[in-house]
Amino acid sequence: MICAEALSKHFPNADGTEKVAVADVSFSVEPGEIYGLLGPNGAGKTTTLRMISGLLRPTSGRVFIGGDDVTSDPNAVKRKIGYMTANTGLYARLTPLETLRYFATLYGIERDRADRRIEELVEWLTMGPFLRLRCGALSTGQRQRTNIARALIADPPILVMDEPTLGLDVMSNRLILEFISTQAEAGKAILLSTHALDEIERMCGRIGLIHQGHLIAEGDLPSLREQSGEERLSDIFLKLVSHEPLLAD
Amino acid sequence: MNRFWRINTIWRKELADTLRDRRTVVAMVLVPMVLYPALMLGSLQAFELQTTQLKQEEYTVGVDDQDTHDWLRHVIDTDLARRPGARGGPAEDLEQRVAEAEARQDGKRRGPPGEAVQDDVGARARVTVYDSPPDIRVKLVSDIPAAIQSEEIHLGLQLAGGIPGATDKPVQLAIIADETDFRGRIAQTAMSGIIDRLNRRLVEENLEKAGLPVTTIQPIELATINIASAERQSASVIGQIVPLILIIMTITGAIYPAIDLTAGERERGTLETLMVAPVPSVDLIAGKFVVVAMIGMLSALLNLLSIGGTIYLGGLGKMLAPGGGIAIPIHVLPWVLLLLVPLAIMFSALLLAVCSFARSFKEAQNYIMPVMVAAMIPAIVGILPGIRLTAPILVMPVTNIVILTRDLFLGDVNFWHIGWVFGSTSIYAAAAVSIAARLFGQEAVLFSDTASMKTIFIRKFFKPSDTPSAAQAFLLMALLFSLNYFLQIGLSKGTEINATFLSGTATILILLFAGLPLATALYMKVRIASGFHLEFPRFTGILAGVCFGLSTWVLGFWISELVQHWLPMPPEFAARAAALNAQLLQVNPYMILFCLAVVPAFCEEFFFRGFALSGLRSELGAAIAILVTAVGFAVSHGSVIRIPFTFAMGLVLALLVIRFRSIWPAMIAHLLHNGITTAVVHEELLRPTAESLGFLIAGESPLPPLAWRMTAIAIAGIGLLLTFLAGKHTDAHPRAQAPHGTSHTTPEAAEPS
Repeated sequence: MICAEALSKHFPNADGTEKVAVADVSFSVEPGEIYGLLGPNGAGKTTTLRMISGLLRPTSGRVFIGGDDVTSDPNAVKRKIGYMTANTGLYARLTPLETLRYFATLYGIERDRADRRIEELVEWLTMGPFLRLRCGALSTGQRQRTNIARALIADPPILVMDEPTLGLDVMSNRLILEFISTQAEAGKAILLSTHALDEIERMCGRIGLIHQGHLIAEGDLPSLREQSGEERLSDIFLKLVSHEPLLAD
Repeated sequence: MNRFWRINTIWRKELADTLRDRRTVVAMVLVPMVLYPALMLGSLQAFELQTTQLKQEEYTVGVDDQDTHDWLRHVIDTDLARRPGARGGPAEDLEQRVAEAEARQDGKRRGPPGEAVQDDVGARARVTVYDSPPDIRVKLVSDIPAAIQSEEIHLGLQLAGGIPGATDKPVQLAIIADETDFRGRIAQTAMSGIIDRLNRRLVEENLEKAGLPVTTIQPIELATINIASAERQSASVIGQIVPLILIIMTITGAIYPAIDLTAGERERGTLETLMVAPVPSVDLIAGKFVVVAMIGMLSALLNLLSIGGTIYLGGLGKMLAPGGGIAIPIHVLPWVLLLLVPLAIMFSALLLAVCSFARSFKEAQNYIMPVMVAAMIPAIVGILPGIRLTAPILVMPVTNIVILTRDLFLGDVNFWHIGWVFGSTSIYAAAAVSIAARLFGQEAVLFSDTASMKTIFIRKFFKPSDTPSAAQAFLLMALLFSLNYFLQIGLSKGTEINATFLSGTATILILLFAGLPLATALYMKVRIASGFHLEFPRFTGILAGVCFGLSTWVLGFWISELVQHWLPMPPEFAARAAALNAQLLQVNPYMILFCLAVVPAFCEEFFFRGFALSGLRSELGAAIAILVTAVGFAVSHGSVIRIPFTFAMGLVLALLVIRFRSIWPAMIAHLLHNGITTAVVHEELLRPTAESLGFLIAGESPLPPLAWRMTAIAIAGIGLLLTFLAGKHTDAHPRAQAPHGTSHTTPEAAEPS
């Protein structure tokens, strides 16, 4: 479903040199799978997710979404992806209902179908109580639920989520994680990036460890345990990072 | 999905979003409705209060000797004695004198009507003081300048050569004043009035003594009769103020939504949300542009109504137009509404382009100020006295709108001017909007943490691309449009048509239409072969090009004959054209062929069907690209009469390039068309041959015989057939491979419509 091939992204620095944000990252995510991208701040997780969603153009390498190349037809690819991050903003002066309708139109969904889809999402994410309030007045949890509904409005086969539970309370956290699991069970390919190791441990079938732009290890939890000889994910991560020769560059 | 439906959704959402923002509503509605009336009426009252107070004040005139003191006291007293009701002076005589004084003052102080409203206000105050001076005290001082500086006196007078009236020799009277002091100027005006009246009285007395009539010294009395009606005079005043108000108000109204909908989105984090939706940034910007332009127009309209109401109801009109109040020409209101459209389009596009570049509200505000000041310069050019809407000014952005407004207010409605102003403004605005679309959602703007803004402008950050971007195509078209116009006008000024002129024209064409696009393409790392459609075509392409080249010239003559029939050229135009033609025939015929046929064919094709067509097509699709380049091609020829034909030619040539994916068929067609059209009317070239074959050359547009016309239609038909058949064999252009310009930055813009 998602197939990243040797993705690299270089950003120009002000002095004319280049900063390598992502280097030669390859992985794939299959339908029904939750793939967790794990790494410290500035490791290149967000840049990778942005390249996959067509927001950034890779310096080299390619991304295929259901067979389509992101670079050559970004808008076709964007239709297949629901993208959300902890930071994606909502229009403060629109209500969640208006926001969902607006994005439904941008995705080319007809009004009737959009209304049915909105009804569905509102029920799943229990958005009823705040559906007609302005987004500016919502709590973080309510905003995040609206954001997820917005990302899912076109019922995309792929979800790309960058720290979807950042800053949420236990209740909202639980609701959203359960929702993500249900979506995976329904056959969606889900690419998840997070700091929260327990979330990854609990939900993800496969995990990619990313450090300084490089994918240093990949696999399911048992195979990572085997590779590193550690039990807990945090220990696995620290162990693999410290043994990673790429650190030198 | 239907693109227009999408843009429609976008603008409606943006409008709702904007109108829900209290700050916009306050800036747009409350400010004009409350602030201006309050401000204007407040300042009006303050002004009246001040002038009344100044008139009631007593002024002191200083002299430095006793004789002058006594004489001046007497003069002032006797002058005051002549005022009606004061000490029983001859009122009738005075009224006439006051009228004369007023006329003199008016003549002296006021320029052509409406040139300086402010000066009118001051002049009126001065006329009043001139006619009925305030109380004046005379004071003896030792040092006049020192006394003025210490504010002991307002004005000084020095007599030289004796007391006036007591001697036969002329007497000199010097007024010593500090002209930067307002009270000093009032006293000076009052004193001038008194002295003028005294002078006149002394002259009359002397003449009477000598038994001579007044006409001895003033045999001619000059009177000016102004045929401009009061309405026209005030229309002239308003016509100059209104565009400036409109510009300022459009900008003020549009600034906030322009920032909010671009840099504001970035700042609030909604830009990323928006950019993940499968919508080309051109559509997003188009929707935003509609809203910004609407709010700009609405805001300007409300401001104008408020100011108009204040002037009309608040009595400001009396101050602005002395003698009868201001007459607001109601019939110009529709014109004002019409002119709001190009103004709003122009400035909204400009604001959006500037703001799309900004990453935050603050940054946007910093960018806007210098740009808007720069935009006001052409507006100020437009209100220069005596400026007219002639050739180069007609396409000068903003200036042309300002002058058009003034003309419309004066009732001078010229539909060509309106067309030119709207047309050129639309081209500039389209260029600005496409720049905005290009910048909006740029990686560097979208994620400030990840890229430097340099990537947008510095060549080393560009990725090679197959075609230029639509924005570059628009921008270059707008640039070439005005540069070409200015250069050609500059070249033709006062020069007759000779070899130098022709080679000048050819040089301009080569530099602008070939050099500039080539330099741009090289700088932007656009692949030349694909960016200019230089690939070699199949044989049928050449054949189609030849078919068009052999037939269109006949149709061209035919169409211009038809146009001439329906829209006959004014005789002076025809005479001028004939004169130019005569000059042209003096030049070596091969030189003419080269400069007027060969060079234009290559250069115009290189730009319009090369750079512009490939750039526009990569983002806007073939149909829009063909249409836009044809419009640009027609307009760039600058001849109204030829527009129908040049537009049609533009369509055909662009179609050739799109179908055969090569510029060569179009170049061949253009070259043959230009070459034959030029040669067939020239004695030393093909004219004798053509005439022997029955081709009539009479008057301005030679009429091809019917048989020729039918043959031409048939040949052109074969060309068209070949062109359309070519489309069947050629698969769809692999547009996906041709992302535009510095393509690494906005992948989404490469989406076909």
